[in-house]
Amino acid sequence: MINATYAIWLRHMRKFTRNREELGGLLIQPILWVALFGVGMGRMLPGQSNYLSFMLPGILALTALGGAAGGGMMFLDERLRGILREYMVAPIPRLSILLGHMCATVSKAFFQIIIVVIVGVLAGAQLGGSVVAWLGTLIALICFTLGFAGIALGVAARSKSIMGYHGMIFLFNLPLLFASNALYPLDNAPVWMQWLAKANPATWFIDVARSSTQSTDMSANLLNLGLLIGFAVAGTWLALRRFQAVTAN
Amino acid sequence: MIDAQGLYKQFGTVQAVIDLELQVPEGSVYALLGPNGAGKSTTINMLTTLLRPDRGTIVIAGHDAVRNPDAVRRVIGVTFQDLVLDRDLSGREALDFYGRLYGLDAATRTQRTKELLTLVELNDAADRLTGTYSGGMRRRLELARCLMMQPRILFLDEPTQGLDPQHRAMIWDYLRMLQQQHGMTMLITTHAMDEAEILAQQVGIIDHGRMVASGTPAELIGQFGSDMVRITANYPADYQPSWLQAEWVRNWAIQNSELRVGVDHGSRRIATILDGLRADGLLVSDMNMTRPSLGDVFLQTTGRALRDEVKS
Repeated sequence: MINATYAIWLRHMRKFTRNREELGGLLIQPILWVALFGVGMGRMLPGQSNYLSFMLPGILALTALGGAAGGGMMFLDERLRGILREYMVAPIPRLSILLGHMCATVSKAFFQIIIVVIVGVLAGAQLGGSVVAWLGTLIALICFTLGFAGIALGVAARSKSIMGYHGMIFLFNLPLLFASNALYPLDNAPVWMQWLAKANPATWFIDVARSSTQSTDMSANLLNLGLLIGFAVAGTWLALRRFQAVTAN
Repeated sequence: MIDAQGLYKQFGTVQAVIDLELQVPEGSVYALLGPNGAGKSTTINMLTTLLRPDRGTIVIAGHDAVRNPDAVRRVIGVTFQDLVLDRDLSGREALDFYGRLYGLDAATRTQRTKELLTLVELNDAADRLTGTYSGGMRRRLELARCLMMQPRILFLDEPTQGLDPQHRAMIWDYLRMLQQQHGMTMLITTHAMDEAEILAQQVGIIDHGRMVASGTPAELIGQFGSDMVRITANYPADYQPSWLQAEWVRNWAIQNSELRVGVDHGSRRIATILDGLRADGLLVSDMNMTRPSLGDVFLQTTGRALRDEVKS
């Protein structure tokens, strides 16, 4: 089980470090978000003392979402090209096939996150917070990515084409971010939007992540962390169920 | 070694495989022939545990493929019609990864990879990405990959599709060597009659999900007698030559203005056939005589020539 998961993860990592286009794309994307959106929006909202610090968690969430969508894409590509069947005829648990892909997705997202944080700090974001807050953020990030990687893989397990997959995935990318507190504070938003945001895993993650940039108390975020762990489990379960439904007959 | 009984699989309203029976003894090669869409892939997917049959039993090397798929997966090697090689890995890495997936330790992986690359003569290209390989090299690497876990049974779906004659012969040599030196049991699907005749001890012809003929190539060909007379003429659409109801006629069929008659002794009967056609007022434009082949068996049982079915 662990061995097969590791083998699949390793295979993706080797391909990833070899693929210059993918590496370059993953590097440039977060840089653009911080440099263009973060700096530009910061000038438009004079009320926020440091907009970049405020929105950095939002960019982290977006990066994780992009990573999850990319993970689903990678899985879909292997499925459509038939590479998946090579795993399927091997005596390995079906769950390990999923976990291998999900771990690879999280690893890639993690790599991007580090870039975002570095670029963010260089551009003027301030990082406060304790070691505990950072640790909490890290766990939250992994759970958040796993949850959405699960959803993306679940969609990819059924999609008939790459176009169809993109259509589905778009639904949970930018709109999810808009319906959260990622890019703007929700204090002035209508009540329905505040409720929507509260039920949004992106908000849970961003609240935790803000404790590391804005020095809010970590203990206020235990509920968020719990929710995110549940989200990760639910995402994995969904992916496995969809995957088994496709492979069972 | 492979024993399938009453296999049945339906997709929606389409019956893909209907009550299929198939036995392959240990150490022998079985060739499954059939046009595209006949149910070959569905059958091979069920036998290799990728697909669950609606009805029927599959026993592979003593293990039930439905109840205990992992036990079956441990003893089989499978290559797919569409190559599943990852273009972003080198040949050596592809094999190494495969061994890793099964939990082989590093020393064994290195050793087997080296042996297999030598076997399929890919040593020089081992560290190039497989994306740069030719079709023949990829098929060879696929063969090496499915041998990595030293399986007892190989399932090869169209192992030589799209290869030039030289590479086909090369793959045939490997497969024969595997059978003769290692007693490997194999089930192959193929479009090519010559491939089935050269490699297989048993042949099954499948059409519209049903097994329409099976036996040794000699048995199947034998039903056509010793010679096959082919005569091209202007046959009417519903032409029924009643005079072919003779004891020396084993089989006959008309397709694409060609009459094929399987007979006991070609040179002795050809004049009789020509006389019969002339008496029916037909104009013969061409004729020849050959030994019957599996292609004739296929045409007879499916009503289609195999080469019509080959994808370009």
